[in-house]
Amino acid sequence: MGEAIPIVEMRNIRKSFGGVQALRGVDLVLHHNEVLGLVGDNAAGKSTLMKILSGAYIPNEGEIFIEGKKAHIINPWDARRQGIEMVYQDLALANNLDVAANVFMGREAVSVKLGPISIMDEHHMGQETQRLLDRLKIDISSVRLKVESLSGGQRQAVAIARATAFNTKVTIMDEPTAALSVAAIGKVLDLVRELKAQGCSIIIISHRLEDIYQVSDRMMVLRHGRKVCDTPVAGDIDDFRERVVAYIIGARDDFAEGVSKQPNNEHEEVQDIVH
Amino acid sequence: MSTRRFKISFIKDVNKILRQNIREWGMYIALLVIMAIFTITTKGVFISSRNIGNLINQTGYIAVLAVGMTLVIIIRHIDLSVGYLSGFLGAVAATAMVSWHLPVYASIALAVALGVLAGIFTAFLVAQMKIPAFVATLAGWLGYRGALQLVTMSKGTIVIPNAAFNAIGNGYIPDIPDIGILPGVHKLTLILGVLVILLFIINAINNRRKMRAYNFEVLPMHLFIIKLVFVSALVGGITWVLAGYKGLSWTTVVVLIVVLVYNFIMSRTVLGRHIYAVGGNPEAAELSGISVKKITYVIFGSMGMLAGLSGILFASRFKSATTTAGTLFELDAIAAAFVGGASASGGLGKVTGSIIGALVMMSLTSGMNLMGIDISYQYIVRALVLVAAVVFDVATRNREKE
Repeated sequence: MGEAIPIVEMRNIRKSFGGVQALRGVDLVLHHNEVLGLVGDNAAGKSTLMKILSGAYIPNEGEIFIEGKKAHIINPWDARRQGIEMVYQDLALANNLDVAANVFMGREAVSVKLGPISIMDEHHMGQETQRLLDRLKIDISSVRLKVESLSGGQRQAVAIARATAFNTKVTIMDEPTAALSVAAIGKVLDLVRELKAQGCSIIIISHRLEDIYQVSDRMMVLRHGRKVCDTPVAGDIDDFRERVVAYIIGARDDFAEGVSKQPNNEHEEVQDIVH
Repeated sequence: MSTRRFKISFIKDVNKILRQNIREWGMYIALLVIMAIFTITTKGVFISSRNIGNLINQTGYIAVLAVGMTLVIIIRHIDLSVGYLSGFLGAVAATAMVSWHLPVYASIALAVALGVLAGIFTAFLVAQMKIPAFVATLAGWLGYRGALQLVTMSKGTIVIPNAAFNAIGNGYIPDIPDIGILPGVHKLTLILGVLVILLFIINAINNRRKMRAYNFEVLPMHLFIIKLVFVSALVGGITWVLAGYKGLSWTTVVVLIVVLVYNFIMSRTVLGRHIYAVGGNPEAAELSGISVKKITYVIFGSMGMLAGLSGILFASRFKSATTTAGTLFELDAIAAAFVGGASASGGLGKVTGSIIGALVMMSLTSGMNLMGIDISYQYIVRALVLVAAVVFDVATRNREKE
């Protein structure tokens, strides 16, 4: 990671819902052109952390820096203005509209504006969408197809394409491979690699460790609202999985009080880099 | 041999296209079947110029409601209050002219403005207070019924003496001076009809070219031509029949303007796109920066405005405001929207479809009246048509999902 200033830095994020502490002071760093995997058991706080970054939740405590500048993100539009886009797990697409209409949903191109009435520039939107699909090597026969007629993998691709279409700095993907066929999962992972090759910075939440292993540069494990591991993705997949599962179930913890002093920890050097 | 192969492939094409587009074409087929049945059972009276002219004028006040209702249904709501709201606003316009001696345009503006306010109030209950539209507008149904009776209480029926106002529901557009050809036929109506057909054909060809540029599968050429011929013949036929009576009525002009404006907004503007987006996936729309609340206000505001217009058309047609004006209009409008292809699950529906739906509902009423069928059976038949339309919607949607 050659860049000195990370594209996103979240410091000491805390969030509670009623009496439940969902996040207890989490730090997160995402570098330019990096793919960060975010894993953890159910209710570990992954989605909450990402919803804070994307503006869906407001943290009780903590700070967010975008490219070194302190950011105030209080709703999804704010986040979007700062270049942060989230691909939601339940696919935020309108099935009754075509591919181009979904890609441009909420930011339609306008050709003529007459007071409150803005006439859409359908031609421009169609062409731009086609160019976007071509650039990301997404295989959909026509941008005029309704989303409801697409396969699950194609829909996910449209959702991801849409999130990366407009000068996006950071794309967050919440379980992008959940509920997809094996072939479709492969295509979505190819799409993530393609995005990285084109310079995107990406955070992926996933239960599927093999997906994280395949596309991520680095990964973070959350457990009970705390970060327990932050390490580059390297080595053999079986070894990787075993290690990560140990963190997920709580058998290992790099950030527990006093743990970082232990000499036998193989990740200590990583922490030194991160902090 | 080759003609036979062509025939087989042609029938296959028709079959495939019909199955794929049954949602869109079902209502046209239904309208044609209903018109054919009534033409036969009334020995041609139904299809006469006079009856079709009257039928279209009667459809006017339901048609404008159906346009608004289609939009309401697209964003997954319903409005039960518009029938009595329409009756009430008609009575307000009548009172404004008769008792307050306001000029015609001011009375119309007042009714329409009150309609918008009523719609905004409904939207406040639905969008702000999160009351289900069904309950909020059921309250409106009761409230406006009471308001209508209150306004008409003293006189029972308010007779409207204003000729200009009554012309909206009963008058016809003037004709160009007679130049010797086609005596007895309304020539301006014919010219307008031909213009509409030409515009439709140019528009269809343009659309087809655009869709092909996007690799979108379009109708095979021969079916495309058949579709053009079919629609042109339908519009041409209606124009000819109307031109043979008194020509285009002012009601039809009002309805056509409403349809053109709403169709343009829904298909070409950002607002229309946002309305469909909210109907298709409200959460996604909200996350994309579309304000679902704002759209809800716009939709119910427009519904109220159209209710005002409908009330004016109705009062004008009967040259009076009565205590029962607007009764069951809402159900005809809802039925028209469903027959016209709107879906109970939201996101689907077209302005043009709702007009066809309104024609279906009013053809049923008109045809059964001509046949002298008892009103009790008429209600049952209309109920069955409504149920059939919704069953059709659910069945075609389920099949699309498979």
